[in-house]
Amino acid sequence: MILARLALRNLLRQRRRTALTLMVIVAGFLALSLAGGFMAQTFQGLADAAIRGGLGHLQVLPPSAMEGDEAQSLEKALPDGEALAARLRQDPAVAEVLPRIQFMGLLSTGPKSVAFLGTAVDPILEPKYMASAEALKDGAKAPGGAGSRWLSPAPAAREVILGVGLARALGASVGSSLTLMSTTRDGALNAVDVDVVGFQDLGLRELNDRFLTVSLATAGQLLDAGPARSRLSIVLKRPQDTATEQTRLQALLPGADLKPWFELASFYRQVKLLYFAIFGFMGLVLFLVVLLATANTLLMSVMERVREFGVLRAMGLQPGQLLALLQWEGAFLGLMGSVLGMVTTLLLRAGLNALHLEMPAPPGTSHGYELSIHFVPLVYTLVALGLQATLQVSALFPGLKAARLRIVEALRHV
Amino acid sequence: MLELRNITRAYELGGERAGVFGVSLEVPKACLAVLAGPSGSGKTTLLQLAGLLDAPDEGEVRLDGETVSALPERARCNLRLRRLGFVFQAFNLVPVLSALENVMLPLQLQGLAEPEARGRAETALDRVGLSDRLHHRPGQLSGGQQQRAAIARALAPEPLLVLADEPTASLDHAHGGPLMDLMAALAQERGVTFLVASHDPAVIARAHRVFRLADGRLVSQD
Repeated sequence: MILARLALRNLLRQRRRTALTLMVIVAGFLALSLAGGFMAQTFQGLADAAIRGGLGHLQVLPPSAMEGDEAQSLEKALPDGEALAARLRQDPAVAEVLPRIQFMGLLSTGPKSVAFLGTAVDPILEPKYMASAEALKDGAKAPGGAGSRWLSPAPAAREVILGVGLARALGASVGSSLTLMSTTRDGALNAVDVDVVGFQDLGLRELNDRFLTVSLATAGQLLDAGPARSRLSIVLKRPQDTATEQTRLQALLPGADLKPWFELASFYRQVKLLYFAIFGFMGLVLFLVVLLATANTLLMSVMERVREFGVLRAMGLQPGQLLALLQWEGAFLGLMGSVLGMVTTLLLRAGLNALHLEMPAPPGTSHGYELSIHFVPLVYTLVALGLQATLQVSALFPGLKAARLRIVEALRHV
Repeated sequence: MLELRNITRAYELGGERAGVFGVSLEVPKACLAVLAGPSGSGKTTLLQLAGLLDAPDEGEVRLDGETVSALPERARCNLRLRRLGFVFQAFNLVPVLSALENVMLPLQLQGLAEPEARGRAETALDRVGLSDRLHHRPGQLSGGQQQRAAIARALAPEPLLVLADEPTASLDHAHGGPLMDLMAALAQERGVTFLVASHDPAVIARAHRVFRLADGRLVSQD
């Protein structure tokens, strides 16, 4: 403990230099932990968007669903999707099952037709569990979108909600009548007249330009779907159990694939990879800056104490104990830097979040979002441990230099 | 107690060969011995060799009948920690520690528990007349007080041999004399051997034995 005390006193002796070094460490901590909090916000936002955008926590798919495209609607389908959904709803871990049909075709005003990607959903269950209402609210702000509402639950209602880009392309507005055209499961051409009841803004321009939503009843008539469904989105009571429930429920579904949302949300995975690459590189640079700055400080401190080290060695201090002394100094710098960094980060985070800053829309998306830097204890812990390790490494070279000093030369040092 | 046998340690200094050459001497227990001679005569080099801070090119250092100059570095460190004490011209107290902590330092490095180290350090400081300066940092002590604290630090581990390099050179006459009196008294009452490198006549006058060096060679002893 005497070495630890000596190390601490040495740091306090050079207050200004120690303060400058601490500022570098605090800046590193601040940048890394704020970036971590921002990443956490982004990942959570993307995860929510994926889950509440229709994937649910788990999705039941036909076995070949992930291999190649469909030549016609419902070519790859769960033949009795409704019965399967009813069975899954009995499971105690399942909060709800939302059947969906994915299809494509042409949407026509008469003189003008545009290709679409459609999703048919349960008009009663969907708004309860998915983000339909938010998309509709944003869509209502688009030209012609005033009066947007959700699909009627009446089985006889033939209604459609259009992506804002698709509506613009067709010149449609709420109240317009359009014709949906597609092929049935048998390959026959079919059409259904629908009324536009709302616009939706899904946040991605490409989706807004092609996407529409109808009720399962409307798609059932257009595609002659019967009980077949493209997918079943499962909402779990405990989302944190997604992985374990996937394993358990898969065993109950021999004729279907069960995938967790994060395997299906390719955008989420791509953004996550991109962020890890960007912030990982930034982290490496910051760690390097901290490493060089602190190594320089400790080396200067060693050069100023050459004679003192000579005296300590003359008194019988082993070379390894001098190395340990410098390691203690690195450890104290890291500890103080991390504590100060944590306090500073929490204060700055609170300040930034209180400002309710609106972030610009990310590339490929249509609206921005409010900055909300998350507090992620794991990130803070990892940053603190990373900085601590960096400090120990940075103390290594000065420590070795001190340990290798020849005593007689050190004692002559002025 | 301390025996140097045919010690040679040569090095280049300003293009000339310097050091000590073929020096043999013996210092008995409880003796205050002085290495005397002008600057560059090899006093400090010999002291460092005797203190195991450097290794001779030739010859051997024997301590209490045992050859110690050929020991590996780790063993030499242990020997310095437990059986040798050092006093330097520039005092060389650790500036961030108080007088008490400076004296406790070698004891704690030996592994003594803090209360025991504190007790022994207080006793050592009391013996050199610094019991009222225990918690003063070196910067708050006069030169004489710092050197007395350095002597206390050297003596607290109860060494066999204390090596002092020009201990009075940074002190005025009023402080140098009493310091040497203190060393002579400690040598007598504790049986500690002192080997002091100095060209100060006041130091030489108090020595029990004087070894005179010139150009790295022992020219006389009395």
